[in-house]
Amino acid sequence: MVYSKQKLVTNALLYTLLIIGAVITVFPFLYMVSTSLKGPVYVFEYPPRFMPPEPTLHNFVVAWTSKRFDRYFLNSVLVTISTTLLVVLFSSMMAFAFARLKFVFKRPLFYGIMIFMMMPAMTLIVPQFMLASTLNLLNSLSGLVLVYVAQNLPLSTFLLTGFLEQVPRELEEAARIDGASSWTIYWRIMLPLCKPALATAAIFSSLGAWDEYPWALTVLNDPLKRTLPVGIAAFHGVFYSDWGLVFAASLIAIAPIITLFILLQRYFIKGAISGAIKG
Amino acid sequence: MRKKILAIIAPLILMALLLTACAPGATPTVGPSPTPVVVKETVVVEPTLAPAGPVTITFWHTYNEVSPENEMLVETLIPMFEEQHPNIKVESLPVPWEDFRRKLLTSISGGVAPDLARLDIIWVPEFADVGALTALDEAMSDFDQYKDAVFPGPLSSNYWAGHYYGLPLDTNTKVWLHNQEMYDAAGITEPPQTMDDLVGQCEAIKKVNPDAYLFAADGTWAWVTLPWIWSFGGDITDLDVTKASGYLNGPKTVAAYEFWLEMYNKGCFAPVILGSGIDPWSGFAQDLYASIDNGPWMYPIFEAQFPDKELHASLFPAGDGGSINVVGGEDIVLFKQSEHPEEAMEFIRFVLSPQYQLKMAEVGQLPVRLDLIESDYIKNHPYCGIFLEQLRTSKSRTAHPAWQKMDEIITNAGQLILRGEKMAQEALDDAAAQIDALLEQ
Amino acid sequence: MRSKITGDSLTAYAFLLPGFLFLAVWIIYPMLKALQISAYDWSIMPGQVSEFVGLDNYVRALHDGLFWLSFKNTLLYAGVTVSGQLVLGLVVALMLDQITKGRVAFRAVYYLPVVTSWVVVSLLFKYLFNASPAGLINYLLVDILHVLSAHIPWLNEPETAFVAIYSLGIWKGVGWTMVIFLAALQSIPAEYHEAASIDGASSWQIIRLITLPLLIPTMILVMIMLTIGAFQAYIQVALITGGGPLHRTEVLLSYMYDRAFTDLDFGYAAALSYVLIFVVFVISQLQLRFLRSEPMY
Repeated sequence: MVYSKQKLVTNALLYTLLIIGAVITVFPFLYMVSTSLKGPVYVFEYPPRFMPPEPTLHNFVVAWTSKRFDRYFLNSVLVTISTTLLVVLFSSMMAFAFARLKFVFKRPLFYGIMIFMMMPAMTLIVPQFMLASTLNLLNSLSGLVLVYVAQNLPLSTFLLTGFLEQVPRELEEAARIDGASSWTIYWRIMLPLCKPALATAAIFSSLGAWDEYPWALTVLNDPLKRTLPVGIAAFHGVFYSDWGLVFAASLIAIAPIITLFILLQRYFIKGAISGAIKG
Repeated sequence: MRKKILAIIAPLILMALLLTACAPGATPTVGPSPTPVVVKETVVVEPTLAPAGPVTITFWHTYNEVSPENEMLVETLIPMFEEQHPNIKVESLPVPWEDFRRKLLTSISGGVAPDLARLDIIWVPEFADVGALTALDEAMSDFDQYKDAVFPGPLSSNYWAGHYYGLPLDTNTKVWLHNQEMYDAAGITEPPQTMDDLVGQCEAIKKVNPDAYLFAADGTWAWVTLPWIWSFGGDITDLDVTKASGYLNGPKTVAAYEFWLEMYNKGCFAPVILGSGIDPWSGFAQDLYASIDNGPWMYPIFEAQFPDKELHASLFPAGDGGSINVVGGEDIVLFKQSEHPEEAMEFIRFVLSPQYQLKMAEVGQLPVRLDLIESDYIKNHPYCGIFLEQLRTSKSRTAHPAWQKMDEIITNAGQLILRGEKMAQEALDDAAAQIDALLEQ
Repeated sequence: MRSKITGDSLTAYAFLLPGFLFLAVWIIYPMLKALQISAYDWSIMPGQVSEFVGLDNYVRALHDGLFWLSFKNTLLYAGVTVSGQLVLGLVVALMLDQITKGRVAFRAVYYLPVVTSWVVVSLLFKYLFNASPAGLINYLLVDILHVLSAHIPWLNEPETAFVAIYSLGIWKGVGWTMVIFLAALQSIPAEYHEAASIDGASSWQIIRLITLPLLIPTMILVMIMLTIGAFQAYIQVALITGGGPLHRTEVLLSYMYDRAFTDLDFGYAAALSYVLIFVVFVISQLQLRFLRSEPMY
């Protein structure tokens, strides 16, 4: 009896603390929503009001229509889809080789992949910029995709290699006896088996491409080619910021990611754990 | 078996190569999207194909993407030009002001510079110095005709090392703008005539609302500090731009900064001057800042963003040196990398026409043509007059390729002084020494 | 036999080729190019000659006060945010491990900042830490909680600006460490705990004497990953303070970017990149050692 009472108190305490933490975690988001629903006049009011007195979708309409946000959204979608498809395809092929095939220089090559995975992507921005300018890729979305693929390949390869290594040998051996080629084994056996891992890799590549900022900022000139992060940052001017608009735009940008996260939470978490990778 | 793998891999490699290959600068999207992309506001981005059809010239500027100026340019003026010149298409590209210099310089380095740009007058020497600009006095046969048609002041900003590298496009300066509601509440009846007036006005403002400020500006760079330095009778360098010592650290300049420090410490200047807080425009619109100094472009912007707020303009308060503000404005320049210099120069002629200049005046751009100043339009204009009056005494920033670095030194000195980390004299001595070293190179 | 190995290798290389093509063009070549640039006073203007300066750019870094400041700021950022994320993530994970209902929901909520774009949360924190009394943090601390007596212009002073930048780093990362720790906790066999509680140990004793020691390898792994992550810090600084005031909140990457694209000093920027690559390389060697000695969970 005493024990369970103590347990009750402990539980109450735990839940209270967890709820406080959760509130701190989501509060900034809620404040962002509330600010985006205010008209420009209310954005810096004192005292700050949490509930907008006259909530309006005005900022969302402005962001989407007159500020060409529809266009940035489309650019981001195109860049993200192209990047993700290429990354998943190429990294699963590389992972298949690393996990299932024997070849010379396997260890050093894989070591290289891991080094690239840990290197801060931005350190290469200067030579990459020069290369992009030589190849006439400045100010083009393809220039973004190519670099994003290179940036996301190592992580994805690492993740998938770990997964493919765990697939039992027997399946492959049986297929080999039946005369299947390596490609058939990769395409027909391995890929279907590692769908969850592919989903995880796809999620992390999409996040990487969807959120990337410094490279896009550096190579894009034309506002029509901006991706969402660059577009949002541009709304936040140096001299004057319409915060309501900035946050309306931000919410449009993060909505797909949050939706994806709620639907596919499992894969997000699994990816974080198996590769110890950070979103 | 190997053949089969090759058969499958080959298209993949091809695809990768294709992605790389099909990416010339102007291709707007990857993947299966149609090439010419039409977006609202009738901007048509077309890939620069072989010059079979009309020639496309690119024009970069810093008009805010969503602004009356940009709308006028894209929806009225460029179509007008294209109608007059059916063989030329003009692609207008707005770039955020803070990115403009970097984008231009890196684009020049990558060989993808635009044909034309609307360049802040202070940047012309730097771009001319790196060899990016075409000397218009050599390239344009009728240059003298335009040279004689514009104000000598703005024109001189195009002159560097013996040549004119551009033509003035618009000119401006800043005047004192005050918030009438706040003045009324504080019992202030008229805008400040002198620097001394500011002290009393500040006390009145603070009495009504201790969280309000008399004045706000968004940094300590030269664009903000120069009016104060000059109006106090100080300067940055000698007239020939050979040294800063004796000027930037002279007693008058020091006095200007000491006045600033006093005003800042009393809470008369808003903390946003050190970099963060409510920006001057929003604070002004929300009755937190009683006054700002700003240019004619404020009128259309305020009309659009804060329709309830009226702007009231007066001359910048005078000190020992008079009422002196900074000459701003932009020049139009032609880049050496331009593949269509003739067509680009045709556009330069167009932007200097009375037609263009008057249209832009409607959206807050002061014209540079001498003949327009006498026109009825300008004479009857609601706010041009005060700016033209201020322009009579306004001065230009130092024309020098190293201006960007000089400005950073000035910005830092202002920061150090307002933060109380260095005495004004000490900070300015250091800054003057650094600028001297720059000028010696 | 010999030819079989070569055959296998060829097949493997065919699988590796497309991916490596990307890596070769966009990572390996740029790495070599950066090495070359870093040995020049690189002029990016077409037609101008770049001067070979050998190791001068690296020597210059050694004497550059701002470089050392940005280095120090990066280390401090790593120190503060890594320990913050580690401790808070561990605490939340331990609490979540104890409860029975709502674990998945809590986990989702805490993980939310992890999946949100850096650009968005950086601007959000800049807004929250606004200097004016209307800034939410100022309002909460002064007017509601009365912790502070005056409104603080957070982003105008490096010390307080870092408070904003650190809080963002921790707030955004706690969910990630929590998830890793939670997974590790749930893989600890239940018998350990049962045995201990039969012996009469309190919950706290169990945590201290059994759970935490078992978590040490995970902690080290998390610590290394977080440190590598901390060296990537750029967007939060670029968007919240822009490195200001007076470059005092600059971190390595923001300083490098500024040298490269404001001063167009590509040679020096490339040298700075190499210093950063070297530091991260050393840390990642530790990481690799741990990855080899798995399993961890």
